[in-house]
Amino acid sequence: MRRYDLRWLVVTLANLVLWWLVCLANHYLANVDLPLIGPSSFYLYLGGLFVVYGALRLDPRHGLAATILTALLIDSVEPVPFGTSLFLFALVHVTVLYGRHRFPREGAVFAVVVALLANLFLVIALSFLLVGANPRPGHAWLRIFFDLLCSQAVIALIAPWFIALQDQAMHFMEIHPETGRQVHR
Amino acid sequence: MLPKRFDQARPFVVLATILLAWIFLPLFAKVFTRASFFEIQAPLQVADSFVRDLQTFWSNKAHSKDELLKAGKQVAGLIAQYEYSNQRSAYLEGEILRLENLLKLPSMPDYRFEAARVARRDFSAWWQRMIIRKGSNYGITVGAPVVFAGGVVGRITEVHKYTSVVDLVTSPTLRLAATIAGDPRPVSYQGGLNNTFSAPRGTVDFVSNDFFASPSARKKLVTSDLSVFPPGLMIGEITSLEPSADGLFKNGEVQLDQRLGTLTEVTVLIPLNPEE
Repeated sequence: MRRYDLRWLVVTLANLVLWWLVCLANHYLANVDLPLIGPSSFYLYLGGLFVVYGALRLDPRHGLAATILTALLIDSVEPVPFGTSLFLFALVHVTVLYGRHRFPREGAVFAVVVALLANLFLVIALSFLLVGANPRPGHAWLRIFFDLLCSQAVIALIAPWFIALQDQAMHFMEIHPETGRQVHR
Repeated sequence: MLPKRFDQARPFVVLATILLAWIFLPLFAKVFTRASFFEIQAPLQVADSFVRDLQTFWSNKAHSKDELLKAGKQVAGLIAQYEYSNQRSAYLEGEILRLENLLKLPSMPDYRFEAARVARRDFSAWWQRMIIRKGSNYGITVGAPVVFAGGVVGRITEVHKYTSVVDLVTSPTLRLAATIAGDPRPVSYQGGLNNTFSAPRGTVDFVSNDFFASPSARKKLVTSDLSVFPPGLMIGEITSLEPSADGLFKNGEVQLDQRLGTLTEVTVLIPLNPEE
């Protein structure tokens, strides 16, 4: 019997779980009382991590479907014109897809590097789009820089876990990520 | 078979196709998609706030009877104070109504108060918002003012079935008409100075040149009757005023309430006669 190919759904659900965790972290980081410094506020943006697995490990069709669905999920919640994340995520996805055969894309280290670079691009692109609304853009860029530093540190820490989580989910579903063939455990 | 050069560029052709399809997608389809994707995630957005409430409930359950009796006494004292304030407020409202009738003034806008729990905070350099656990199911409307014990919280920007999104007074996307306490001339307030290691601040523009403010001599900034908010609600304190580039007015910075970052409950003011 032919099995329905659910690779796009597995990756989208994994991204949704990470998105929920990031939102939860941002809720608590909105006001942190740091010793010696006092009340501080941080914001994590991990957009680059949502694109990596779909672009590096999945076949182009399923990877793009997962990226588009994730982008729409994020776009529906964020106060940006609907389709902003769709365009930015899709752009990052096709760029990684274009060059992925030239690199050791199975390695976790390469995935972390791609996630960091993708996130850097996404934060800068979003900032250029949104910072114009701020009455003092200089202040906003300083805050964006601190948030970017924190986000990149978090990506470097959790990217290997997140890639492994998606790999394990594929393994659990007995699907090969790139070919979609059944793999026996 | 396609030439190799085209095959390499295929991802970008697909991207261009998706973008063209997105641009020409009818508006109602985009609105429907956005609403659907938001509602899919809505249970996730509020689930953790319900868990936090449960956590608070069980930690309160752990308090001893003595502690509860002490808290009860304090609450009884507060209730007595509020009872007196309530009576005085009713008397003053009657006075306002009498003067309105006497002077044939238009009546003040009236509001229904809807208390709502904060489900999620979303504070970045790009926007500052929170999601509350009440939506169109409680009659909340877009543009409704949101307040707390310390003054203005923000304004409702999105209303969904069971949740609403509040644009905070700290957000660069929120602008409102305000006045300096005791002066009727309107000024313009905008949020957006949110550094990582300091309390949230906003900016104030079009302040008359006869005002002076410094960190030691602050001026209270309150809502104006030109905004959707009831007049006189606290926004923040002006800590500095500098002449603008053209010298006609002054611009300055406003220190906002630190508690805005830790709010767990807010009150939405729903206009009773929105057509007015």
